[in-house]
Amino acid sequence: MFCVAPPELETKMNITKGGLVLFSANSNSSCMELSKKIAERLGVEMGKVQVYQEPNRETRVQIQESVRGKDVFIIQTVSKDVNTTIMELLIMVYACKTSCAKSIIGVIPYFPYSKQCKMRKRGSIVSKLLASMMCKAGLTHLITMDLHQKEIQGFFNIPVDNLRASPFLLQYIQEEIPDYRNAVIVAKSPASAKRAQSFAERLRLGIAVIHGEAQDAESDLVDGRHSPPMVRSVAAIHPSLEIPMLIPKEKPPITVVGDVGGRIAIIVDDIIDDVDSFLAAAETLKERGAYKIFVMATHGLLSSDAPRLIEESAIDEVVVTNTIPHEIQKLQCPKIKTVDISMILSEAIRRIHNGESMSYLFRNIGLDD
Amino acid sequence: MPNIVLFSGSSHQDLSQRVADRLGLELGKVVTKKFSNQETSVEIGESVRGEDVYIIQSGCGEINDNLMELLIMINACKIASSSRVTAVIPCFPYARQDKKDKSRAPISAKLVANMLSVAGADHIITMDLHASQIQGFFDIPVDNLYAEPAVLQWIRENITEWRNCIIVSPDAGGAKRVTSIADRLNVEFALIHKERKKANEVDRMVLVGDVKDRVAILVDDMADTCGTICHAADKLLSAGATKVYAILTHGIFSGPAISRINNAAFEAVVVTNTIPQEDKMKHCSKIQVIDISMILAEAIRRTHNGESVSYLFSHVPL
Repeated sequence: MFCVAPPELETKMNITKGGLVLFSANSNSSCMELSKKIAERLGVEMGKVQVYQEPNRETRVQIQESVRGKDVFIIQTVSKDVNTTIMELLIMVYACKTSCAKSIIGVIPYFPYSKQCKMRKRGSIVSKLLASMMCKAGLTHLITMDLHQKEIQGFFNIPVDNLRASPFLLQYIQEEIPDYRNAVIVAKSPASAKRAQSFAERLRLGIAVIHGEAQDAESDLVDGRHSPPMVRSVAAIHPSLEIPMLIPKEKPPITVVGDVGGRIAIIVDDIIDDVDSFLAAAETLKERGAYKIFVMATHGLLSSDAPRLIEESAIDEVVVTNTIPHEIQKLQCPKIKTVDISMILSEAIRRIHNGESMSYLFRNIGLDD
Repeated sequence: MPNIVLFSGSSHQDLSQRVADRLGLELGKVVTKKFSNQETSVEIGESVRGEDVYIIQSGCGEINDNLMELLIMINACKIASSSRVTAVIPCFPYARQDKKDKSRAPISAKLVANMLSVAGADHIITMDLHASQIQGFFDIPVDNLYAEPAVLQWIRENITEWRNCIIVSPDAGGAKRVTSIADRLNVEFALIHKERKKANEVDRMVLVGDVKDRVAILVDDMADTCGTICHAADKLLSAGATKVYAILTHGIFSGPAISRINNAAFEAVVVTNTIPQEDKMKHCSKIQVIDISMILAEAIRRTHNGESVSYLFSHVPL
């Protein structure tokens, strides 16, 4: 026997069927600004949810409206307490999964632990671990922005949309730097040369690459190359092969490959966290004759003392997007400027909910971006 | 401790034999053949029960056939009760399809990783992955060995003017790789990047760095059709380089690659033997080969004995 809904309920069922619910998984109120902007652009109310810390520091999530059969979008911006942020997200995802949500889409503009995306001296590939945890918790789709390495998409068994902030940053350069045609795009280390090329190509400018002593953020020293062999008493298959030492790798003094003299230098990167390497790069560029120095990055983590150091440095302006909240840092350092990317996130949410193609959002994106 | 058994797939018998010789082992008996309907058949010709099995198969030539053969061999050993199966894949197939670079593009390298795990591989040994992040596509240990120490040794032994050389990346993506080599040789580096001056205009190559009166050494992880490195060589010579070498880990050399190299102004195009090069060397005298069998052999020996493999990241076995 079929169970037919009474007529007075039928209209209600049609309203909720396949509806969209937008949650913010942050217990930290300063992290909710981006969520509010996205909700405003979509013309929806934020879903009712309580996320808080128990006295014993455990995270508690209480979803206060039905999510059954709905597309749930959980927006999570990363706070300083990154591990709590992750747990908040995972618990909320799992709560939605066990509450019969149709799909659970994580909107994580800055993917935490993304720098730990390759094997280093018997460490863990933490971003892979995080991807596995998110999939296991019940995430069915991920929207993120400017992953530290695009290959991180392959750590997931679910679709990943890696949006790009570069069109917004390029627009800022063209509109806010009057003589940008006299600029050169700078990679502060060889690792970011590809990103620099991508910017330079679209602005039709030259590039320069800095290399040398100060760039130690992703040093090879930690990937096991300098690990001694184990001393074993067990006999080998055949006598151990003698291995001659090679000349150890030495970081040369800082060099700039490319001409920056009499130009505006625009340093581009994906993340600005500890600013030491940016400051060293700025000093080097000043010495080489650059007359203005801008730093452009998608994710402004700006940890610890970064605002003060930027304020006292040769850098003229640091431009970041609002993937991570940094209002406090802006108060400490007027050189920090923000570009709003809520528009592209809200459009991605709208398209996914309506089952529309996402490729329109990538129309101006090059292979190197 | 279980005994070691070394099997060779049909993609690179020569390399497998060299590895076996280095280890003082015989290659295990295995028969791989094709049925008339082109299905692959594998018969393991000796007991592998409780053994530590290593299967050497490179991702080259008839790439899909070789991949299927490897998967079937892994599975055959697994269900024949071997204690551990390690796939030794000098050149990882589909490594360039490691990210969604276009809408609706598959991450095929991840698919291959899943296939290897499902087939029953417990461990992967490979060399110079196109992106180290591919290690994260697996839930099993992956040892990504480097050809860099062997490349450095080759440069010092074969390029007399190496102290006056400059290491060049043919694209911006390889800048990190070339700076690593440049630092170890204590020389400078340069890179070539594509630049579009106007919309709809053909890309032009721009050299960033000074190569005048120096020996230029182009370094990359792989060369396929060789269009990029041949254009780069022309660019370097016109910028005043005295000689141009290219050093690549994986010499795929498909399509017009050989004729392009023959027509280009390279002193030598140096590749490792992760992919068989005998046929190509017959048609192109510029191709030279660095043997990396000793690195693979030593990695296998160390893995089998439970020793540290990371020592190989900066040293070349004798």
